[in-house]
Amino acid sequence: MRIFENIHIDWLGKRKIFYVISISLFLIGWVNVLVRGLHFGIDFKGGTEIVLQFQKPVDVSTVRSYVEKIGLGFVELKTFGGETGVLIRTESQNIPKSIFPKVVDHIDNAIDKIYPGIPKTKVDTSASTITYAFSNADTTNELISRLLAAGYQAGKVSEELTNKQMVVRVGIADWIKENLRTNMPDNSFQIIKEDHVGPKVGNELKTNALIAIALSLIGILIYLAFRFKFIFAVGAVVALFHDVLITIGLYAALYGVIPGLNLEIDLTVVAAFLTLIGYSVNDTVIVFDRVRENLKIHKTMPLEELINQSVNRTMSRTILTAGTVLLAVLVLLIFGGEVLRAFSFTLFFGTIIGTYSSIFVASALVLEYANRFQKKVNF
Amino acid sequence: MKEYRFRLILILGAVVLSLYLLYPTYVNYNNQKAISKVVAEKEKEIKASNPQISADKLDSKLKSIEDSLKNADPSINKMKLKSLKLGLDLQGGMRVVLEVNTGKLLEKLAKNPDDVFKTVMKESEKEATVSEESMVNIVAKKFAARGIRLSRYFGNIRQTDSEIISELQKDADDAVTRAMEIIRNRVDQYGVSEPTIQRQGSRRIIVELPGIAREEEAKQLLQGTALLEFKLVKDPELTISIMKKIDDVLAGTYVDSTKSDSSLAKGTTAKTKQSKVASTDTSNKQLSAEEFAAKHPFFAIAMLDPKGKSADAYVKGDDRDKLQLMLNRPEVQQVIPNNIQFVFSAKPIANQNGQPIYMLYCVNKNPELTGGVITNAVATISPETNAPIVNMEMNSDGAADWARITGANIGKRIAIILDGVVYSAPVVQNKITGGRSQISGSGDLQEAQLLAIVLKAGALPAPVDIIEERTVGPSLGQDSINNGFNSTLIGFLVVSFFMIVYYQRAGMIAAGSLLFTILFILGFLAGFNATLTLPGIAGIILTIGMAVDANVLIYERIREEMETGKTLKASVDSGFSKAYSAIIDSNITTFITAVILYQFGSGPVQGFALTLMIGLGASLFSALVIAKVTFDYMVAKGIKVTIG
Repeated sequence: MRIFENIHIDWLGKRKIFYVISISLFLIGWVNVLVRGLHFGIDFKGGTEIVLQFQKPVDVSTVRSYVEKIGLGFVELKTFGGETGVLIRTESQNIPKSIFPKVVDHIDNAIDKIYPGIPKTKVDTSASTITYAFSNADTTNELISRLLAAGYQAGKVSEELTNKQMVVRVGIADWIKENLRTNMPDNSFQIIKEDHVGPKVGNELKTNALIAIALSLIGILIYLAFRFKFIFAVGAVVALFHDVLITIGLYAALYGVIPGLNLEIDLTVVAAFLTLIGYSVNDTVIVFDRVRENLKIHKTMPLEELINQSVNRTMSRTILTAGTVLLAVLVLLIFGGEVLRAFSFTLFFGTIIGTYSSIFVASALVLEYANRFQKKVNF
Repeated sequence: MKEYRFRLILILGAVVLSLYLLYPTYVNYNNQKAISKVVAEKEKEIKASNPQISADKLDSKLKSIEDSLKNADPSINKMKLKSLKLGLDLQGGMRVVLEVNTGKLLEKLAKNPDDVFKTVMKESEKEATVSEESMVNIVAKKFAARGIRLSRYFGNIRQTDSEIISELQKDADDAVTRAMEIIRNRVDQYGVSEPTIQRQGSRRIIVELPGIAREEEAKQLLQGTALLEFKLVKDPELTISIMKKIDDVLAGTYVDSTKSDSSLAKGTTAKTKQSKVASTDTSNKQLSAEEFAAKHPFFAIAMLDPKGKSADAYVKGDDRDKLQLMLNRPEVQQVIPNNIQFVFSAKPIANQNGQPIYMLYCVNKNPELTGGVITNAVATISPETNAPIVNMEMNSDGAADWARITGANIGKRIAIILDGVVYSAPVVQNKITGGRSQISGSGDLQEAQLLAIVLKAGALPAPVDIIEERTVGPSLGQDSINNGFNSTLIGFLVVSFFMIVYYQRAGMIAAGSLLFTILFILGFLAGFNATLTLPGIAGIILTIGMAVDANVLIYERIREEMETGKTLKASVDSGFSKAYSAIIDSNITTFITAVILYQFGSGPVQGFALTLMIGLGASLFSALVIAKVTFDYMVAKGIKVTIG
């Protein structure tokens, strides 16, 4: 079987059309980025995310009504996987001050249930902890183990034998779970995933992701400059920018458009972008490799014709190599499960755009440069 | 055949190596399956015989059954250690990033903190949540801005600000080390299998606990405070008599009498000069190991040194849990006096045939002193003896008690116990007044440093905050494994099918080398002790798609060469050689990004980067060596190679 064999198309003569296509794609995406914004996952934003698996099918709106009653501000809920999974996410780090007294009451009650009427003093309360003091060490220890068994995060303040203080930690996730347990007693749930990312970590991850992307681009620029002429390296890296920016734009444009596709930028998506950078340059290398070879053979052929011929000759393999990767990524997109969906999506569209830019953008840029400066490109 | 010999050996070697590296994974998979089958059966049995059993009790029963199955054959554990590891996202578990709360630490370190100090701390804490700078620097800057010297709160009056800053930085650094030691100690005792505890940067600790069932308990392990105790080690005579009783109870020969005590002590001093770690009973010389174990179940695993002056027992790492279970039995508890307990050493004290050996000490249950009184502990090399020592200082309350305790127990040993395990049990040389003690006997400086950390752990808590936490339940992990496995299989089939349709026989070669590529990736992952994560599986699938790229480039080139009228053999040769540069260039660019990803990523993403790197290498080998040899062989043998 053969595809794209012996084609003789003047791609570079039509390069203006491709410029228009690229610029429109870019504009559509980035208008969306500016208007609707990019949606980051909790890896970058920080916050708390829990995924619950209920025993019976559950209606997200029911869960939502209970969660909203807690008063945590904006909380996002969606189904996860099948009908029994619910994802709950909030950007808050701690339980808001306004509802913390409720939490304290709740724990007071829990203590009273174990030891009715026990004298206790609150030594300290912070954003997520309450510290109690009791009259003797044995009661304190007993209380801690009973509360722990009941699912509270109770602990000693110090391990000294005379310790009479108990600290109870209540994170935002604990509080949501506690509320759902009491409100939905006939449908118990299991926690299948729980993530908590502090605000500082989120910022650091963001910085690291940007550094990693920048370093990859620089690394590729240096390597290609070393292997080819500098201008080829620039062409390839500009094409990479083109791919990444358009794919990011696509993220903003498609966010919430396709049901069941959660397009949030998280760590794995960044990994996908980096892979994309590394992979999509491959096709560019194939074309440039042929240009380099042809430049040695046809010393007098005009550059435009030479590049055209190289693109045409390598067209079949460019399409085929991208095609096999697309096949694998498509399998991943369909069968890879919820966790890898955004990752596969990035690679899928990124590879398509990357292949397009390798053929039509990278070589065109080299030609533009040579025409503009009347330079002779050689090796 | 001669021309292929080298390459064939190379290929065969790679295949055999991969299979060899994957063999433990295969055995381990079967082992685990067998174990879970037995456990499931037992669960049914228990439920049938006792339908009212609580979930907690059932869990702990099943856990002990599982543990005993796992420990029954040491090879099970060995295989597990060598097998391909699954990341937390696949097997379920908890990953926690902890950061030492420097603010709280500074509050603890500060002398006479006043209102100004408190305001500054509050402001600094606020700034620290957004700033990249370290807390110590922020605090120092705030004080400098107010024209207050740091020596007002920290260090001593003669020190300059910069000296104090570097000292405080060191304290913060110490706190991380301390927190790590406390956590490691706890996690070990809690019995999490294969935990990892790593330091990240200067202030962070990453703890990974695979398969943890109770999140609350785990968090408690990580955030609690530590208890340091000094307990008196019991005399050998008493210890041995208790051990003998335990041994009798376990063997079923126990008669409640106190008469036999004196003869027992003799038994231990008698010599059996087989090895350093030997059994105690001379009368049993003729007994085989099995017979001895039946007669003396306790001494068979808690071995005494016949020449030693102490009654500390040596216990093999594998026997530790077994011994603990023995000691916990109610009938055994009955013969152990109320005020006495047995405790293990925190670290193995030696290694015998690759087995770690732990010590078992018999100590007073009530501590003589707890660690709150220690103000400082430093490890140094003694100028007199050139041996590593630890200098320990106590506050005045502690010093008074310490003088009394040491005075009354000269020549006896005092065990230093952190969270229930012994770190050292030095002998009291003389009465120590003034609270300054010197502890010698550490094997090397490192050991002494660990002891210093432990001594400080009881006094100065290392307050840690959870700044990142990721928990994956076992069910999601299993789903991910299934999805990953299915995707890999489908991906392989789809890509192979495509290659065969498009390139016919040459496509079959490509599909075959793809199979080798996957084998190599898995083999290398297992061999490098790497962890397979869900993104890692994604990396394998992606590699399947990318690996055939090299084949495509070569085949397209061969077709081109054939068009020019060359023979098949010549076309194959020049097709391979002309495709090299494009293949190498394009793989190197992908490799560059994978390396960067590995550097900047964390956890699962690193797993992806790793599989991608290994995958690139493996696919190059498959395409350039395996496919080439196959081609050469077929061409030479005159087998028709169709290339579509």
